[in-house]
Amino acid sequence: MPVSSPTHPVEDSVSKVNDELAVGSDLKFQQRWWKFERIIWTIFTIFIALNIAGLFGRGPLAKARMRAADGSIDVHYERIERHQSPSVLSVQFGPNAIHDGKVQLWVSESLIRTLGNQRIAPQPETSALDRGGILYTFPATTPPVSVEFALQPASSGTANIALGVPGMRRVSAKVFVMP
Amino acid sequence: MGAVFRAVFGYCFLVFMMRIAGRRPGKQITPFEFVMIFFMGGITLTSMVADDQSFVNAASQILAVALAHYGITVAKLRWPAFGRLVDGTPLVLYDHGHWRAEAMESFRLTPDDVLAMVRDQGLERLDEIDYAILERNGEISIQPQKS
Repeated sequence: MPVSSPTHPVEDSVSKVNDELAVGSDLKFQQRWWKFERIIWTIFTIFIALNIAGLFGRGPLAKARMRAADGSIDVHYERIERHQSPSVLSVQFGPNAIHDGKVQLWVSESLIRTLGNQRIAPQPETSALDRGGILYTFPATTPPVSVEFALQPASSGTANIALGVPGMRRVSAKVFVMP
Repeated sequence: MGAVFRAVFGYCFLVFMMRIAGRRPGKQITPFEFVMIFFMGGITLTSMVADDQSFVNAASQILAVALAHYGITVAKLRWPAFGRLVDGTPLVLYDHGHWRAEAMESFRLTPDDVLAMVRDQGLERLDEIDYAILERNGEISIQPQKS
């Protein structure tokens, strides 16, 4: 016996044009969609403008600076980072930070772990684990002296970073890493 | 895990972008549209793959995209309203000697696009056709005049 598959009668539910051509168009839906499209294009334009401005990182709005009240360090960083995108955090030391031809800098672990520090230039002479962070020692002579951290965040989210010269004022900031 | 989500997001985002940026694929595709399609695909690829170039990552992302595609197809069948959102509806562009200006402008189509399809059907002039319809797949179908 032949196997038969279920069937159902054809329903004439498709909308017609001029009562003759079955097209299935829905002008009302399309008009609503076009309105939605216009709104979306506006949102796209605003998004691009904000992106150029740096609201999503890599622009003027993303750049930030923090300075210790005692002038020991001056940090230039990006308050909005991007996942896996390289950036630079630079620390400039004041004259009061240099002692015996050396300068020490303590950085919080989040700078290494969350913001994915890749390299430090110049290379520190020593580095040691210290109070939930790392203490670096750099040889230094006369100011201005600065150190650069090449960052590449491994994950997205918020990171609280802190930096400071031991015995002096620390600076801290919140950095957001865009996905 | 992140790679799978990135792949699904990339796929859905591209579907949405192609829906927004214009329904002009198929026979209406021009080098101008080709540039957009390949460029968008290429840009999406970089963030989808990220730093994981393993075969496992590639296989799982392909599976994820296939699954997302299957999911959208099933959802379109089950919920016609969703299908309308993804594909739109056919629209009449030309009706017995009159252009439907709103539809033409909104889809950024020109009379030349319709005339190309008229010629494709072996016809010569617009007065030889009753309707020109923009189909959901982006093609323009022509209804020759009833003799």
